[in-house]
Amino acid sequence: MNDGRLTRRALIAGAGTAALAAPAVAKLAAMDVIDLGLPGGPSLRHVNPPFPGKGAMIVQRIRPPLLEAPIEAFRKGIITHNGWMFVRWNWPFPTEIKAADHRVAVGGAVKKAVSLTLDDVASAGETVSVVAVNQCAGNGRGLSQPRVTGTQWGNGAMGCAKWTGVRLKDVLAKAGVAEGATRVRFAGLDVPLTDGAPQFIKSIPLDIAMRDDVLVAWGMNDEPLPILHGFPLRIVVPGWFSTYWVKMLATIEVLTGEDDSYYVADSYRMPAQPITPDSKGFPTVPITTMPPRAFITSHADGDTVALGRPLVLEGIAMGGDAALERVDLVGKGWEIPCELGPDEGGPYALRRWTVKLPQVAGDFEQVGVRAKNVNGAVQPAEFVWNPSGYARNVIERITLRAE
Amino acid sequence: MKRIAILSALALLAGCDNDPAVVFEDAGIILPDDPIDLPEGPGRDAVIENCTACHSPSTMLQQPKVSREKWQSIVGKMKTLYKAPVDDAAVPAIVDYMVHVQSQPEPGV
Repeated sequence: MNDGRLTRRALIAGAGTAALAAPAVAKLAAMDVIDLGLPGGPSLRHVNPPFPGKGAMIVQRIRPPLLEAPIEAFRKGIITHNGWMFVRWNWPFPTEIKAADHRVAVGGAVKKAVSLTLDDVASAGETVSVVAVNQCAGNGRGLSQPRVTGTQWGNGAMGCAKWTGVRLKDVLAKAGVAEGATRVRFAGLDVPLTDGAPQFIKSIPLDIAMRDDVLVAWGMNDEPLPILHGFPLRIVVPGWFSTYWVKMLATIEVLTGEDDSYYVADSYRMPAQPITPDSKGFPTVPITTMPPRAFITSHADGDTVALGRPLVLEGIAMGGDAALERVDLVGKGWEIPCELGPDEGGPYALRRWTVKLPQVAGDFEQVGVRAKNVNGAVQPAEFVWNPSGYARNVIERITLRAE
Repeated sequence: MKRIAILSALALLAGCDNDPAVVFEDAGIILPDDPIDLPEGPGRDAVIENCTACHSPSTMLQQPKVSREKWQSIVGKMKTLYKAPVDDAAVPAIVDYMVHVQSQPEPGV
């Protein structure tokens, strides 16, 4: 066993201590509970305990932390406050980091392997910022029907921030990419507790790595990356799911072939073609780019609206891996174009929309919003099921009662 | 000596031209406690001994209702893939507990 990892004996000892201590620990308060509306349940979640630097988050898991943003996070503007950005860790991570001691190793298929300090990284090239949606591949998994196991997120495992750093390609240039390079793989300081478990490492194709807007970022909304979001550095791949946005970046490895590591070759994958829940042995492809999505933020399912009065609905939308083109309010047999707010953050940012209805004539049954991006990708009306609940982008609908 | 001095001056100049984009400071946080908050049921001790060292109980308690076979396969995945040192003899009790918990009405979290 390696230092710092747990043997079975240590695990039992640790668990025993925790169990003995449990009665002395105050029970989680039964207050401040949010109902995520997950079909069939369990659907209730605490918004405590509080986490450092975070607002009232939906606590999906305390250890390692999984924190979801409540809908309030998206009611104003396009930027998600750092206190409301979702948090997702696969493995434990250090809670103290000395900046002067941190290194980023750049190796693999490079001309000269280097070990970079944070200042080396920050001075590797021009400082650039990009506004982009950071979204978990499993966002909305808890809404899948039939239900699937895994983190039971509502739709708050996403957020939009301004990310600041240097281009990944400038950091790669410090080592020089060698002939035959195919992919670039990232590893952070989060490592498994158990010996032999797969480390959370992820890779992207070389052409994506060399994009002008793919960053090694240290800034999140003009603040240093909080530890919960990957201090001191994280990868940012605008338009791609956040599984590739490796946090606490410590290693950049240039590959010459395919990536056969677990979290690329075996996990975070989708059926290559739509399947049914009883399908077996189907081919899969990695989760990569995000599809368009839109949400109503001004009203929640079951809200009442004033009969005979005008109604304004508002919300957010994203184009995914391309700019948003349009958003439509859709009901049963009708649709109305929504007015897009200003393009404040560029193609990978959230954008606000609004629609004004002159008069409420009755209930709005199962009304939703449908985003379309400039590549023609549009949200489907029917849910396309997959066994891991990835990349949900069915039109999200609510019902409003007129009174 | 002279040559070194010139190099230093150049380095300083470069520093002036390229104002540091960011100053990195040490960072640290304290994460909240993670109480073992598992409802009573057969096999609860086996779950505490074998599962909760790596992750919060909520991970298990929040799952949708699935079959006994699915729980069996989830525990197997924890052992074979994630190398969780789960005692083979405890697996039936862990599975029993998860099936039992999921047969109960949703607790008020």
